[in-house]
Amino acid sequence: MTVQPSLETRDLKIRFGGHVAVNAVSCAFHPGELTVIVGPNGAGKTTYFNLISGQLAASQGQVIKSGTDLTRMSPSARAQRGIGRAFQLTNLFPQLSVLENIRLAVQARSGDGWRILRQVAGLTDLAEQAEHYLEAAKLSGVAHLPAAALPHGDQRKLEVALLMAMEPDIYMFDEPTAGMSLDHAPDVLDLIAGIKKDTSKTVLLVEHKMDVVRSLADRIIVLHNGELLADGAPDTVMSSDIVRDVYLGKSAVPA
Amino acid sequence: MNALSQTTSGTKAVKAAVLLIFALLLFAPFLFQDVRALEVAARVCVFIVLVASYDLLIGYTGIVSFAHTMFFGFGAYGAAISLKQMGPGWDAVVVGALAGMGVSLIVAVAIGLLSLRVKAIFFAMITLATASVALVLASQLSDFTGGEDGITYRAPALFKTATKLMLDENGKVLRVFGVKINGKLAAYYFVFFSCLALFVVMLRMVGSPLGTVLKAIRENEARAEAIGYRVVSYRTFVFCIAALVASLAGTIYAIWLKYTGPDTALSFAIMIDILLMVVIGGMGTMWGAVIGATMLVLAQYYLRDLMGAAAKATVDIPILPHVLDPDRWLFWLGIIFILLVYFFPKGIAGTVMAKGAPR
Repeated sequence: MTVQPSLETRDLKIRFGGHVAVNAVSCAFHPGELTVIVGPNGAGKTTYFNLISGQLAASQGQVIKSGTDLTRMSPSARAQRGIGRAFQLTNLFPQLSVLENIRLAVQARSGDGWRILRQVAGLTDLAEQAEHYLEAAKLSGVAHLPAAALPHGDQRKLEVALLMAMEPDIYMFDEPTAGMSLDHAPDVLDLIAGIKKDTSKTVLLVEHKMDVVRSLADRIIVLHNGELLADGAPDTVMSSDIVRDVYLGKSAVPA
Repeated sequence: MNALSQTTSGTKAVKAAVLLIFALLLFAPFLFQDVRALEVAARVCVFIVLVASYDLLIGYTGIVSFAHTMFFGFGAYGAAISLKQMGPGWDAVVVGALAGMGVSLIVAVAIGLLSLRVKAIFFAMITLATASVALVLASQLSDFTGGEDGITYRAPALFKTATKLMLDENGKVLRVFGVKINGKLAAYYFVFFSCLALFVVMLRMVGSPLGTVLKAIRENEARAEAIGYRVVSYRTFVFCIAALVASLAGTIYAIWLKYTGPDTALSFAIMIDILLMVVIGGMGTMWGAVIGATMLVLAQYYLRDLMGAAAKATVDIPILPHVLDPDRWLFWLGIIFILLVYFFPKGIAGTVMAKGAPR
């Protein structure tokens, strides 16, 4: 491809003592593309995400977004530059209301965090934007509850809504439907499908459920023992022997 | 669209209590016409501000600092030293307040930038060490600070008890409801309105978008960072604001007391008082500071009187008068504190406000 990638990792590596969790992963991602990252437990998928969004510092290699080197930046600086990340384990502001959770993401993007002279109650534009994401995530009914009071499925939705409210260029979802019941998971998947329609956005998705992978993926990459094992169109990757061996062979995934 | 100020029955009760305290403090000189009561009222005003500013740290942002009295002391000593050296004028007050704030800001920025990145426990230890250094310095630099004896000085002429603000037809000081409109009254209202202004500023701050960010940092620091907030900057900022407010509270109290020494402005006993007040009142709500400060100051001043009366009333009963002897007031204060923590685990304001809130 001749287009500049929206996100690129070059030779990205992290060592925890003697263990190399992500080993020299070089990969480029492009706008309008949804890449699913698969791999068995412990393959380094979440660690790879942490390196991109900045929760972990790389031992070696680079993270580059649209030509800008992010490798030495803090997570907040990366977020400000359009890297958005949702977490595998629900990671919210538990005692704040659902609406406040979303508003935090909205005002982080708009730079209102330092506004000290205006009262929240008077900033209706912030509230309106937050309401918009609440509606999208079907959470309007619980807007005033503390996040901790929500059932697990709603917390997952809030996690996704927080990411959407950041309006990043790069969306990173880490098993967004983990632990969700079958009737709730489609809500989250619809949201992701909606993001995918916007061709200026790049989506990275860690997911185990094969039906989800098939319905959403434009491309699949396989991580195994921290190394990039395969990369390509879903059909090609899923049917390759190497993937079957390390991944499909081991975990009981229904075909 | 009432999400941001969810009102429960508990919240209403707390706000009513705060309103009552506000009214009592506003009319204190007229309601309680003795010298000691006015001392108590002024101390309540100052400690509400001091505790509220500490709550910005511990309750809103989740920063544990033991250096809050130090900033209070900077403000108090700033005013004390300048009033002593320059004489009792408003210029001295301004210089003292600015000097106190300047020193507070420098020390707060230094502590903040050096150590807000480290773990909470190390940060707490660093503040403890810094505060100890300040306490030692205040007692060692006795030429400057008066050492253990502290400094006695005069306040601006307006606040002298002999100053007559209004005269009646006989040329004597005017009395309203039996209260002399004199310098003492002016001094009290100086304390009251200065503290009110500082409190309102803090109230606005926690109600602003920044206030929500502070709470987000308390709730989940890593996620706040992940959605784009530079946590270290916000922490350093709020640490500086809290230090500046504490410093101003110190200046106000120094002007009121006309005496500043380690016991009134710098000792760790004050730090413990602040901690007790914030815990009793309830962390993470400005109203908690009002309730906590009022209750503890009242207990410190009047529990002994109350116990003296109780001991007298029970004089015929064996043992009881000894148990209720005023000398044992600290013991009873301890028991009250334990009961409060037991029955109000989130502090009085926090626990009461949770009543009727969605769970």
